[in-house]
Amino acid sequence: MNAVSIIAGNTFREVIRDRVLYGLVVFALMLLFLSLALGQLSFDENLRLSANFGFAGIHIATIVLAVFVGSSLVSKEIEKQTILTLLARPISRSQFILGKALGLMSVLLVVAFSLSLILSIFLFLLDFSFTVEYLIAVAGVLFEAAILLSIAIFFGSFSRPMMTVIFTVAVFLLGHWVDSLSYFVSKSDSVFFRFVGTGVSYLVPNLERFNWRAAPVYATEIPLTEVFNATLSMVGWVLVLISATMLIFRRRDFV
Amino acid sequence: MTQNKVVEVSGLVKSYRSPMTRKKIEALKGVSFSIYGGTITGFLGANGAGKTTTIKCLLELAFADQGEVSFFGKAGLSNEAKSKIGFLPERPYFYDYLTGREFLVFYGQLSGRIAKSDIATRTQNLLERVGLAHAGDRPLRGYSKGMLQRIGIAQALIHKPEFIILDEPMTGLDPDGRHEVREIIREVASQGTAVFFSSHHLSDAESLCERLVILKKGELVFEGRTDHLMSQVESTWQISFQNPKALSGAPPEIAVATTLDELQTQIDRLRASGSVIRDVGTKKVSLEEIFIRMAFDPKSESGR
Repeated sequence: MNAVSIIAGNTFREVIRDRVLYGLVVFALMLLFLSLALGQLSFDENLRLSANFGFAGIHIATIVLAVFVGSSLVSKEIEKQTILTLLARPISRSQFILGKALGLMSVLLVVAFSLSLILSIFLFLLDFSFTVEYLIAVAGVLFEAAILLSIAIFFGSFSRPMMTVIFTVAVFLLGHWVDSLSYFVSKSDSVFFRFVGTGVSYLVPNLERFNWRAAPVYATEIPLTEVFNATLSMVGWVLVLISATMLIFRRRDFV
Repeated sequence: MTQNKVVEVSGLVKSYRSPMTRKKIEALKGVSFSIYGGTITGFLGANGAGKTTTIKCLLELAFADQGEVSFFGKAGLSNEAKSKIGFLPERPYFYDYLTGREFLVFYGQLSGRIAKSDIATRTQNLLERVGLAHAGDRPLRGYSKGMLQRIGIAQALIHKPEFIILDEPMTGLDPDGRHEVREIIREVASQGTAVFFSSHHLSDAESLCERLVILKKGELVFEGRTDHLMSQVESTWQISFQNPKALSGAPPEIAVATTLDELQTQIDRLRASGSVIRDVGTKKVSLEEIFIRMAFDPKSESGR
C-alpha cells in the first residue's frame, strides 16, 4: 500500500468516526423523510415535490460536509501537531495533501450515494420513473462538493478554520451566482464593474453548471456534451486547487 | 570515535519573524554536531535554547536558512533516510479516534519498512514492551498523558529505526514510567540504534547519555562525551569541622573549598582557630550544576 492510500484510509476512518458526520447524516435523513411528508401535502405535484426536496437534502448534506470538515482537515493536523509524526515518515507533503483530499472525497462519495439510494427507495415507492439523469444529478452534487472541498483544503493550508469556512462559503455563494453576474456584466456600462465582474467570473468556479437536480424530477434530458464539459471543468478546478495547495505546503514551517 | 556517524549537522541557521512584532528572531546561530550509531546523545538547553527548532530542522518540519544535515552518510533527508528514523515530538497529540493497536499499525504501514505480515506481531510486542497490552484495543482519547507518551514511544520504534529522536520523552511520566523509558532507550541503543533525546530531567541525561549536545540561546556550548564534560569541571571539597566555641553536642559545621590551594588555606585557618577537622571529602559536581553554569552563566559561553 502506498502512502497516499494509507493516509486516505486513515482520513476516511477519521471522518467516519466523527460524530459531526452522524449529526449531518441524521439531518439529511430527516430531510428525506420530510420530503415524503411534504409530497403528501401537494394535491398534484407530490412526486416532484418529494424528489426536489430529497435532492436538496443530499445537496445540503454533501456540501456542508465538504465545506465544514474540509476546512479543518489540514489545519487540525497542524494545530494538534499530528502532522509532525506523519511527515517524519517516508512520505512527501504532496502525498499528505493528496491522501487527506482523497480520504474526504471517499466519504463524500459514500454519503452522497447512500443518501441517494435511500431517496431512490422512497421515490420507487411513489412510482417515480428512474432515468440515467438521476445518477447524473447525484454526480453533479459530488462534482460541486469536490470543488468546494478542494477550495476548503486550499484556504485551509494557510488560514484558520473559521476564515476557511467563510472564504469557502463565499465561493459557494458566488459560484452559484456566476451566470447572473456574467449577465449583469454584459448589460453594464461601468468599466470598473465590467472589469471586476469579469475577473470574478473567471476566478470563481461556476457551480450552477453542476446543478442537474431538476432534470430527473422534470424528466428532461441532459446533453452528454454538457456532462463531459462539466466533468472536465471539475477535474481542472480540483487539479489546479490541489496543486496550488501542494505548492504552498511544500516549504511551510511547522513551528 | 569508532562508531559510525549517523547524523552530521553543520552550520544550522534558522530565524523566524515574531507573529506579533514581525521582529526577526534568530533561533539557531550556526549549530553543528554529530550523532553516532549505538550511542545515546542527550540534547540539553534551557527553554527557548533552540532544541525543538533543531529537531524540526533535522526532520525538515521547518526549513533551515543555512546549513547542511546528512543522514547515514548522505546529504539531505531522503525518503530512504526517513524510513530509518523514528520520532516522538514534544507534547504529542495523536489521532484520538484510533485504538492503540490501530495507531501502531498505521505508523508501521507508513514506515514502509516492515512486511505487512509482521506488523501485527511487532505491534503486539511493542504494546507489551511499553506496558499497554491491556489498553491496545481502547481508543487513544481514553489514554492518560503517560499512556500517550508510551504509545508515542512505541510508534517511534515500530519500524525498528536506526536513529530515533525523542523530544522530551519523560514528560508526563511517573517515576516508574521514566524508569521504563530509560530501560527502553538503553535497550534500543544496545541494539545499535542511535538515540538523540532532549530532556529537562538532567539526572536522566546524566545516567543515560554517553554524549551530550548543549545549546544556549541558539548556539552550541558543548558537544562531546559526558565524562569529558564532567571531568572539565573541578570538584569541590567539603570540610566537616567542630568549632571549639560551639555548644557541646552541636553538629559539625561545613566549610567548602573550590580549589586545592583554598582547601589547604581553609584547613590551616580552621586548625589555627582550634577547630577539630572531622572529615574532608570531595563533592562531585552534578550535570545539573554544570548545565546551570553553562546555560545561565554569561561567562561560560564556550565549553567545547
